Amino acid sequence: MVKNIIPTNSRLLKKISKKLVKLLKKAEVDEDIIFDIYVSLEEALRNAMIHGNKLDIRKKIIVETKFEPDIIKISVEDEGGGFNPLKLSDPTLNENLLKENGRGIYLMKNLMDEVIFENAGRKVVMTKYLKVKHL
Amino acid sequence: MEISREEKSGISIFRMIGDININSAPNLKISFDAMAKPEGIKIILNLKNVDYVDSSGLATMVEILKSLRKCNGKLKLTNLSAKVRGLFEITKLTQLFDISDEEDEAVNSFERFEDS
Repeated sequence: MVKNIIPTNSRLLKKISKKLVKLLKKAEVDEDIIFDIYVSLEEALRNAMIHGNKLDIRKKIIVETKFEPDIIKISVEDEGGGFNPLKLSDPTLNENLLKENGRGIYLMKNLMDEVIFENAGRKVVMTKYLKVKHL
Repeated sequence: MEISREEKSGISIFRMIGDININSAPNLKISFDAMAKPEGIKIILNLKNVDYVDSSGLATMVEILKSLRKCNGKLKLTNLSAKVRGLFEITKLTQLFDISDEEDEAVNSFERFEDS
């Protein structure tokens, strides 16, 4: 398990996700799976920074990554007020298509194999099964 | 992200290089907001050199579409990579946006629309 504690700074988002991509490429994980993980991690970090920590630079984000031969588990936890994931609306419904928000978690749920929320919505845990040739 | 704009056959074509994300999406909105928007304005967003669009980028394009609808403007997206197109498909934004494979195809379809 690798644990990183990062400040709320959107400029660091790419650095964190690129670092994980590098690790996945080195392990020869399928390119499409890497893209799914990359998108999901960026969306989770974006949500933590914008909706969780409200871009408050004093607040931190904890990113934990557990990488095994056939599975990766990533958690992103913010210091915000949390939210009720059951109250999320479906952004793909006709009445929501023109709304600007709500697609981040929807993308994560579609691209990862499992997405669960803990700590009253402050923590998201995402799991993806991998097709790794060798570690 | 780099953004360039070209006027071609009465169409404003935005070409972007880099990801459209939380950091760069506001620049696209600023470029769009800065331009005059006459009635019936036609815009193409060419995403040929865009590897990735996050939900901020998708939201910005929805904002642009909504803004254009207010002045009877038209928007077409072109040259989406398979991965970026996949994100539009998952979010069903393919139902909202007019997407062409190539920029010329979008330009021609605007012209055909005018001729008809």
